[in-house]
Amino acid sequence: MNDMTQPDFDKPRVVGQRTPRIDGEFKLTGRAGYTGELHVDGMLYGYPVPATIANGVLESLDLDAARAMPGVVDIFHHGHFEALHRSPNSMAHGDMVNEVRLPFEDERIYYHGQYVALVVAETFEQARAAAQRVVARYREERGAVVGLLQTDAEGTLQESAGSSRGDPEAAFGGAEVKVDSTYHIAAESHLQMEMHATLAEWRDAGKRLVVHESTQGVFFQRNAMARVFGLAQENLEVISHYIGSGFGNKLFMWPHSVATAVAARMTGRPVKVVLPRQQDMTGGGNRPASRQRIRLGADRSGKLTSVIHDSTTETSLVHQYVDTCGSATPSFYACDNVSTSQRVLEVNHGTPCPMRAPGEVSGIFALETAMDELAVELGMDPVELRLKNNAEQDPASGLPWSSKHLDECLTSAARRFGWEQRNPAIGSMRDGDEIIGYGMASCTWSAGRQPCEARVELRADGSLFAACGTQDIGTGTYTIVAQAVAELTGAELSRIEVKLGETSLPAGPLSGGSMATATVLPAVAAAARDALDALKEVAVGSGGAFEGSDADSLSAQAGGLTDGKRRVSFEEILGTSKLSSVNGQGSAAPGSERSEYAFRSFGAHFVEVRIDPEISRVRVARVVSSIDIGRAINPPTARNQVEGGIVMGVGMGLLEKLDYDPRDARLINANVADYIVPTHADAPEIDVELLDYPDFKHNEFGGRGVGEIGLTGVAPAISNALYHATGKRHRDLPITIEALLASS
Amino acid sequence: MMDDSAHSPHPSDETVRLDFTLNGEPRTIEVAPNAVLLDVLREQLGLGGTKKGCDHGQCGACTVHVDGQAMNSCLRLAVMCEGQQVTTVEGLARDGELHPVQQNFLECDAYQCGYCTPGQMMSATALLADERIGTDDASVKEAMSGNICRCGAYKNIVEAIQKSRAQLGHDAARKEGAA
Repeated sequence: MNDMTQPDFDKPRVVGQRTPRIDGEFKLTGRAGYTGELHVDGMLYGYPVPATIANGVLESLDLDAARAMPGVVDIFHHGHFEALHRSPNSMAHGDMVNEVRLPFEDERIYYHGQYVALVVAETFEQARAAAQRVVARYREERGAVVGLLQTDAEGTLQESAGSSRGDPEAAFGGAEVKVDSTYHIAAESHLQMEMHATLAEWRDAGKRLVVHESTQGVFFQRNAMARVFGLAQENLEVISHYIGSGFGNKLFMWPHSVATAVAARMTGRPVKVVLPRQQDMTGGGNRPASRQRIRLGADRSGKLTSVIHDSTTETSLVHQYVDTCGSATPSFYACDNVSTSQRVLEVNHGTPCPMRAPGEVSGIFALETAMDELAVELGMDPVELRLKNNAEQDPASGLPWSSKHLDECLTSAARRFGWEQRNPAIGSMRDGDEIIGYGMASCTWSAGRQPCEARVELRADGSLFAACGTQDIGTGTYTIVAQAVAELTGAELSRIEVKLGETSLPAGPLSGGSMATATVLPAVAAAARDALDALKEVAVGSGGAFEGSDADSLSAQAGGLTDGKRRVSFEEILGTSKLSSVNGQGSAAPGSERSEYAFRSFGAHFVEVRIDPEISRVRVARVVSSIDIGRAINPPTARNQVEGGIVMGVGMGLLEKLDYDPRDARLINANVADYIVPTHADAPEIDVELLDYPDFKHNEFGGRGVGEIGLTGVAPAISNALYHATGKRHRDLPITIEALLASS
Repeated sequence: MMDDSAHSPHPSDETVRLDFTLNGEPRTIEVAPNAVLLDVLREQLGLGGTKKGCDHGQCGACTVHVDGQAMNSCLRLAVMCEGQQVTTVEGLARDGELHPVQQNFLECDAYQCGYCTPGQMMSATALLADERIGTDDASVKEAMSGNICRCGAYKNIVEAIQKSRAQLGHDAARKEGAA
């Protein structure tokens, strides 16, 4: 099923070729159908009422005025809700959730924006108007923990999230050259364009629940909901055909989904809830703030002798989330003495959750800024320092890399960027009134893979059908599945229909961790081969198009089977034998290769910043990147992922910060104007090169996934460029105008 | 601070008659006086192509044309459209043929998740028809900066817009966008 020794795709016909998205026309004409715009007969609208304090107790809810509003059907809250169960919250068992506390579970308020009620009415306008008439009275308590960066509290050590090799403390103590710096990163919002949305409908007299959810994981949501409602998984269906992206905060279920399903059951009608943006930001996930200390030791030649990476991140009071900042550090550089540790501090925020390159993107900011500091201490070129410490095998596991070309990424991007023109003297490069800074950083993300199942049909009408219960969150999964089927069968792409995002389909993975491509395509290929085998049996059977031939002598060619002399189309073979279709099933999973090789992608970003010193305005003018992701299955969509990651990195470096009120921990900037993300005008000139080294040890298609890596390393490349321009080392993100002014 | 609506609630359940033109078709509908154009399009008229990304006029996902001007449909009460011509993304394609801007978004991969895309394209068609806006990339980026793409497909979006301009020719582009 998973033959790593036989790369079928050394010279692919469709895989690796530029392929416009097969779902593109639906998105471009407005017909795609994202969760929030779906309708079912008799549907009601829900509108949550958020807590206006971050710490205290809900003392009373006055619902009389709201109930008297036109169209109101019911209002749900702590005193009027179903008794439910929590989800076990297990990653291994597929029922992890983003917040284990159930909605309205108690009357304690743990964070600003926590739901205190859900108003359900006939129309959206009526639900919204009535929600604003709900009067909640609170007993606000002092002592809210405003955030990690507003306290000296150390948090709780997470033993399982740390690692150690050698004797890093002793090696650091004796190092010839040292860096010892602390870094702070503000909490960020995913700010995915489509807010969280749920449409819940009970069928068969309340025995069966159908949920449309904007989710990165239909199976996780189904399993979690089954546990919460005490239902058999088979009695639930979760559907998510189009997702207005997720960036991690749609991986696992949030309380609004549970509240919506309860409202649907208790009203006896379907209910739709689309979170208002403010509530999406307070209670729909965030990247937690981090505080990191990095200690680097090196000899005079620049060889690392010690790396010590100690991190603390936030979690909420109602859920434990660990954003492990040091997870890439043990594999990053060749060094015998490396340790990482991770602490977690409970704060009065909505629960944090994975956000694009979770943990590692924060850790790489700290590590790659520290490496720049070390280069300055050594008087060494930052690129040379990285090449010198390049890990030829994975120093964490001791295994050889499946495929690694970081050195080529560094040299190729440096050449295209024009790094050799960099004058290392601080502030030495100018263009008119502007100071120019050049900075760089390496980037990385692990290459994982999960078990997966898929199904492929060949149909008598000449169409082909592929199905897998994964999702396309905008990364292009629909299209690469069609490419894989086209590659195996030789059929035209326009004949291939792909269905994703339903729990009625063969079990597929989360759209997360840059794992979907490597997970899904081998299963789809196995299913396509199985379907072809089924068709060959038909063709060589009695009355078949190749009656009497040996099935093994047939092969797929251009949407048909051939014996080398003549080709007969799939539809003709099926028609001759009076069949509507043949069905192929496939499954694939990572195997023994995982204990033989280490799998990780690497790359490098080079950044030019330009500063107007008069007003301390900084802009990222140019980013040149080389990334090794194995084979890009669809080069334009893969490149788009990296370019988008770079844009998000500009936001992380310069703009993005969730602002909590120091008095009471309320989220001040829960809207799209005050939480600043990059716009068109902020987007730099971007030049991305994807190296093309298929990684056949990872999977037969050679792709390693591309969603996260582009974001990692961008923020430190920016901070390093700012150091080059100004001589001020920025160790806190975002690097605001205020921080720049303080340096002048 | 948690006022999560830019719109005043209206305590009555009465409706108001609205006569307007939607994607070239005259329409008469009954709307709540506090109903926002965006919600009427999505919930009442079943035109889900116009997206809700913030409901506050901050993200541009809900951009439509009202009498040829690009506007945030989340900032307009539906009743304000009396007698006006409203064009949504569903009105861009003609006779089953994608508008050149749609075609170029497809070919340039000027999107990822697709959620901000209708708003991007409505702003794009409007700016191509707006003689006040320069034709260079910097002017286009400035003019498009009311449309946030969190996936960060900005580079490809600008490429798609400029390709549309080049294909349509300057005057033709201005005329198409004004439709």
